[in-house]
Amino acid sequence: MVAALDMPPAAVSAALTTTNVRVTSSFRGARIVLYGAVLDPSQKPSDVVVIVRGPDAPVRMARKTRIAGIWVNSRPVVFEGAPGFYMAASTRPLDEIASFSTLRRLGAGVDHLRINAPMEQRTETRYGVRDVVVSGLGADYLDWRRAVVRLKEESGLYAADARGVSFVDKGLFKAEIDLPTGAPIGVYSADIFLFQDGQPVSSRTRGLTVEKAGVERALYLFAHRRPWSYGLASVAIALAAGWAASVAFRRN
Amino acid sequence: MDFYLPIAEVSVNAPLLIALGAAVGFISGLFGIGGGFLMTPVLVFLGIPPAVAVASEANHVAASSTSSVISYTRRKAVDFRMGGVLAAGGAVGSLLGVEVFRWLRLLGQADLVVSLSYLVFLGVIGALMLWESLGSILRRRRGDAPKPRKDRRPPWLYGLPFKMRFPRSRLYISVIPPILLGVFVGILSAIMGVGGGFVLVPAMVYILRMPAGVVVGTSLFQIIITTSLTSVLQAGRNQTVDVVLATLLLIGGVLGAQVGARASSRFRAEELRALLAIIVLAVGLRMGLGLFFTPSEPFVLMTGNG
Repeated sequence: MVAALDMPPAAVSAALTTTNVRVTSSFRGARIVLYGAVLDPSQKPSDVVVIVRGPDAPVRMARKTRIAGIWVNSRPVVFEGAPGFYMAASTRPLDEIASFSTLRRLGAGVDHLRINAPMEQRTETRYGVRDVVVSGLGADYLDWRRAVVRLKEESGLYAADARGVSFVDKGLFKAEIDLPTGAPIGVYSADIFLFQDGQPVSSRTRGLTVEKAGVERALYLFAHRRPWSYGLASVAIALAAGWAASVAFRRN
Repeated sequence: MDFYLPIAEVSVNAPLLIALGAAVGFISGLFGIGGGFLMTPVLVFLGIPPAVAVASEANHVAASSTSSVISYTRRKAVDFRMGGVLAAGGAVGSLLGVEVFRWLRLLGQADLVVSLSYLVFLGVIGALMLWESLGSILRRRRGDAPKPRKDRRPPWLYGLPFKMRFPRSRLYISVIPPILLGVFVGILSAIMGVGGGFVLVPAMVYILRMPAGVVVGTSLFQIIITTSLTSVLQAGRNQTVDVVLATLLLIGGVLGAQVGARASSRFRAEELRALLAIIVLAVGLRMGLGLFFTPSEPFVLMTGNG
């Protein structure tokens, strides 16, 4: 007991191999490696969980329903709180590492993302309890929420890897972050949690920036800052190219 | 060789896009259509966001139409006055169409209206053109005399006010039908992301009764004006024109259009129309029939916030 008091508490530290991803014309996604160390003199069994979140991007989604033999979209529903990129990697399946409520509190794992549709919610008085939040999507709400995660997973923007964090040496661990081509531009954060006995005992946060660079950046800024000049310039290119081709072919 | 597109924010294969641009440019020059109705679905299929595909495709259509319209001008096959009147209507139509499209996107029904428009317009026009052109090909093969053009001067076309002379088309008609036609094509092009040549060409032949020789060139001329306008409007209001995507497409497009415009004089008009009819019909059915099949994924993500 005295010895335990003398020992420094368990801690985790980590670093990313790249903190700035530059999106240029040759960009085809990026793989970033995260290295970290568990500093724990007590040698207790530890688990590491890495959560990478991209900038929040509201999701607009519709469900197809059949009306008169034709499949049509329902009214679109806007989900908020969905990150544009999300990755959860851990040494073991998350539900073996910590309890449901702990995971929910940390937002760890795709099932614990705080995705909701505020526009569909209203508060009612039910059974004498005031201000109960009721979703207008009713019993289908879980289907919708699962579909958000499923569609994002299909495009490589959400990932959960229960074996994504591996110990390469005593106390030294490694995780890989795969950014797809469609990864949103913005500031990402990587949270690294050290779990012991089902509780997070230490954590670190590392930042990551994904930004357009070079010609891509110049064109993107031109298109957004001077949209009308950009439009005129692109039409001028089109008309000039058409004319040039016609002249070139006439000479031949 | 892959390229990351700055506005579409996806990576595409550059040689593939240049080849696609050339193929569609060839068809454009051959038939006097913009080719947007072929290219827009292909771009969406390749994973480019529909809003960017529609806007950038307008730029590509403007380029390949310019390329081929110059060759038609040398052959004096463009009625600039008629093209201008059509384009005036087209400008009004595309302004209206952009608003209609925004409203449909808010309701989440843009996909449905686009698919239905493809099915209905391409299906009907393709079927009518195929019927008519096969009829004239068969008559020629059997050696029958060409069917006399009945009702050479439809009274409703000549009874309307605001008459104008169109010397190149040898017409003296009211400007109301061409303007209305332009408005209709303008709305359609904003919603479907097309130039509207597949509507204009048959409408000029069967409704306005323009001589076949000037129809294609005039249609292309009006397409240049409306697609240029659409392109500037889309860039200015929605920032959805991807200049890298448009440039990749138009490199192939302008060359393909030249070859196509030359090749067009080697075919008979009705054979060309039959071929175009088959392409139009196939695209319409491909786009529209998806509405009737049970989707494998019942949920769809919608791009953009408006």
